[in-house]
Amino acid sequence: MLSGGEKEYCAALLALKRKDYQAAVEQFAMAAPYFKDDKEFNIFFETTRLLVAVKDELARPMNHERLDIEEVFPNG
Amino acid sequence: MSRQQTLKSLEGLLESFLARVVQRKEDRLGVMEGINRLDDIARQSSRGEDMTDDIGDWFARHNRWLTDSSLKPADVDRITGLLAQFRQQLRAPSESSPAENKIHSEIDRWSETGRKLSPKLILKRAPEARAPQPISDPDTIGLFDKKLTRLTAVFKDTCQGKKHILSVVNDLLESARLQGNKDALILSAFIIYYLKQNGYKVEPYVKKLREAETILAKGALDA
Repeated sequence: MLSGGEKEYCAALLALKRKDYQAAVEQFAMAAPYFKDDKEFNIFFETTRLLVAVKDELARPMNHERLDIEEVFPNG
Repeated sequence: MSRQQTLKSLEGLLESFLARVVQRKEDRLGVMEGINRLDDIARQSSRGEDMTDDIGDWFARHNRWLTDSSLKPADVDRITGLLAQFRQQLRAPSESSPAENKIHSEIDRWSETGRKLSPKLILKRAPEARAPQPISDPDTIGLFDKKLTRLTAVFKDTCQGKKHILSVVNDLLESARLQGNKDALILSAFIIYYLKQNGYKVEPYVKKLREAETILAKGALDA
């Protein structure tokens, strides 16, 4: 059998290949306890997590930090 | 640049980075995917599911690995391990269906090729410091005679105060194990064989003998 975390790491990379980033994050998260000290793993995991967060942010319908209000005075 | 544009730009950058990661790992990813699939098959098979067709498909898909250089030695070890695990779930060749027989022979082929692909450890001896001495025939009979006399003396010493031959063997094995006494080892082997010929159950003593032999051999290497 593949040892702890290897199966999930492999599934995460395959999910990246399919561009299924959410699934990749889930698989990376399951593999994470076994690869805590693996720098490459951590870079891939954090990058994917950041990408998912960015995509979530972009997907929000109203994505304005501030509302600009302009007062208009007719005839005046 | 608006916040939206910044996020879009970051998204593109991250996607591009991850695409390059996948591209760089493309070859390894293929191997990992294959091993992962084999692992799934072995797991399902160990749960009692009939995976004959699946393993057949796996062989058909990955047979080229036996001839190209995709696999690292660790991959070969892993695959042969998983196949060995899968083999345990198969019926014996004499009771197997033709499909199972084919799987048996495929597993054998993989194991055989795996052995060839695995790196060999080659130990080279340093050149001899001195020219070898001419070998004269030793007086083997005389040497054995001396040894037998010495073993008899050891036997008589060890027998003192004991009521059974098994106690003697036990003492001799302890002496071989703890003191590295080679005479005690040879004598105990002799007695164990004698006891076996007389219908005694000697397995525990044979086990102890092997342990003592290993310790003595290691001692000779360490010396």
